[in-house]
Amino acid sequence: MNAIKVDDLHRTYTVRTGIIRRSVKHVVAVDGISFEVQPGELFGLLGPNGAGKTTTVKMLTTLLLPTSGTASVAGYDVVRQGQQVRQRIGFIFGGERGLYWRLNGYDNLRYFASLYHVEPDVARRRIPELLELVGLEDRADEKVEGYSRGMKQRLHVARTLLHDPEILFLDEPTIGLDPVGARQLRQVIRDMQQERKTILLTTHYMFEADALCDRIGVIDHGKIVALDTPEGLKRHVSDLSVIEVEVYGIPPETVDQIRNLPFVDTLAVEDRDQRQALRVQTPRGSEAVPDLMASLNGVRVGRVQVREPTLEDAYVRLVSGVDGSG
Amino acid sequence: MIRLRQLVRVALLSAEMGLRHAATDAFVIFAVFVQPLIIAVLGLFMLRERGGDYGMFVVVGSGLTGLWSSLLFVSGNAITTERWTGTLEVLVGMPTPLWVVVLGKNLAHVLQSLGSMVLAYVAASLLFGYPLTIAQPVPFLISLVFIVISFVCFGLLLSPLFIVNPDVQRFQNGLEYPIYILCGFLFPILLLPGWTNPVSYALSPYWAARALHAAAAGEATAASLALDWGLMLALGAAYIALSAFLFKRLLDKARRDATLGFQ
Repeated sequence: MNAIKVDDLHRTYTVRTGIIRRSVKHVVAVDGISFEVQPGELFGLLGPNGAGKTTTVKMLTTLLLPTSGTASVAGYDVVRQGQQVRQRIGFIFGGERGLYWRLNGYDNLRYFASLYHVEPDVARRRIPELLELVGLEDRADEKVEGYSRGMKQRLHVARTLLHDPEILFLDEPTIGLDPVGARQLRQVIRDMQQERKTILLTTHYMFEADALCDRIGVIDHGKIVALDTPEGLKRHVSDLSVIEVEVYGIPPETVDQIRNLPFVDTLAVEDRDQRQALRVQTPRGSEAVPDLMASLNGVRVGRVQVREPTLEDAYVRLVSGVDGSG
Repeated sequence: MIRLRQLVRVALLSAEMGLRHAATDAFVIFAVFVQPLIIAVLGLFMLRERGGDYGMFVVVGSGLTGLWSSLLFVSGNAITTERWTGTLEVLVGMPTPLWVVVLGKNLAHVLQSLGSMVLAYVAASLLFGYPLTIAQPVPFLISLVFIVISFVCFGLLLSPLFIVNPDVQRFQNGLEYPIYILCGFLFPILLLPGWTNPVSYALSPYWAARALHAAAAGEATAASLALDWGLMLALGAAYIALSAFLFKRLLDKARRDATLGFQ
């Protein structure tokens, strides 16, 4: 049996604007996605902001009703058997909210344990274990309002493991964390993976998905545009090389000209303070560098590098719509 | 299947956490302790000029005002507060029904508010030298237990009502004094126009105030107490049934409209 099964799931939001002349707009957040997650698998949903990741997780955790389609978690339908689903899952939404800040960490866990119907003697044993797992054993008697963002996120992880759920939904758990906090949290996720928990992780950090996930579904504009292992996704760009060029103040029209060059497969531009990083994917490799330099029309150039494609490049290609297969 | 024992445990822990949480909230401290004290002092000043023994009436009445203010603002806003803190989604995604959590929080507020009655008692006794005696202490104490049940149920109705119908919430401040008056907290409803009486009868705090005032003054009879306690329980059951319907409607609507959390 699949731990999670999603079949042609849709979700549309209705947005109303105006006071006198009211208009109604329908925004499609999830547009017919289907996927399955096996027990013990760590499945990643990777996509840009607004792609539909959080909406998908909210439907699977019974917090949102689908507009159409079906989904089951641990064999239970998320609409008709919500109570059974809720008993078997744990979830985290990225960010600091969702805790009682004026209570201390231990009391937060004690309260949430009762809400998950964990017997008091089990909770008394389990809470210190979880506090140790997430590295908060020395701060458990302090009010949560004094915790750093990373500590709050780790408390969320402890909260979600209180009732030892079969399936975990982690929605951008490392968002906003400093590198050390994010690394600590990824280690906790690895530990949960070792315990054979089924985990659905959403993220827009490529390296995180690459490092943690068994399989990744790339979601964009509410659709799954690719679904494969991290290695399988990288093969989408195995025929390409990546030229990274650091430029200073490149005009938008020059970017458009480069994008239309015959040897350019995809082009991504990343702003870095005063500079921009152009990331060109091309089948011609380093041979394309002279033509690329010539097309920069005198724009000041910094470092130039030719390298093998990464998962991030595969992702850029997929969400740019160049490769819609999968 | 969730067992009753588990739900009772959650409600009690929710009450404990509610008390701990509220202990750090200045507004709750004001609504529960300061405001009823002000009302008690004003009432006692007015009644001292008038003569007669009204001390206990004011003590009970001002205590009930504290109870109602706390319920109206804290319980009424319970779901909104959970939404703002981001805990509503967490609570709704858990196996415990949301109404059990709110019920526990209401219990905390009601117990806390009973403290305001004690405060008014001390103020009347020490500041104004009123001889404060409860004429029928046993019926008075039993009435207090019924009042806790009755107000907890009344508060349970407020949270989903305020969410399902935001228009009611807009008049939240305006609801404070009409209930003081309609429920006879500070003066008998006999002084009100007759057409308002049916409204008073549908409100369990009215029967609570009636039982307490009568037991304090030594005017309670077995028949009057049976009527007051019976109606507190009956109305409490009706409020639970109505709130269960509203909670279900609220959560269905929130899941459909995506309004459980702020994005």
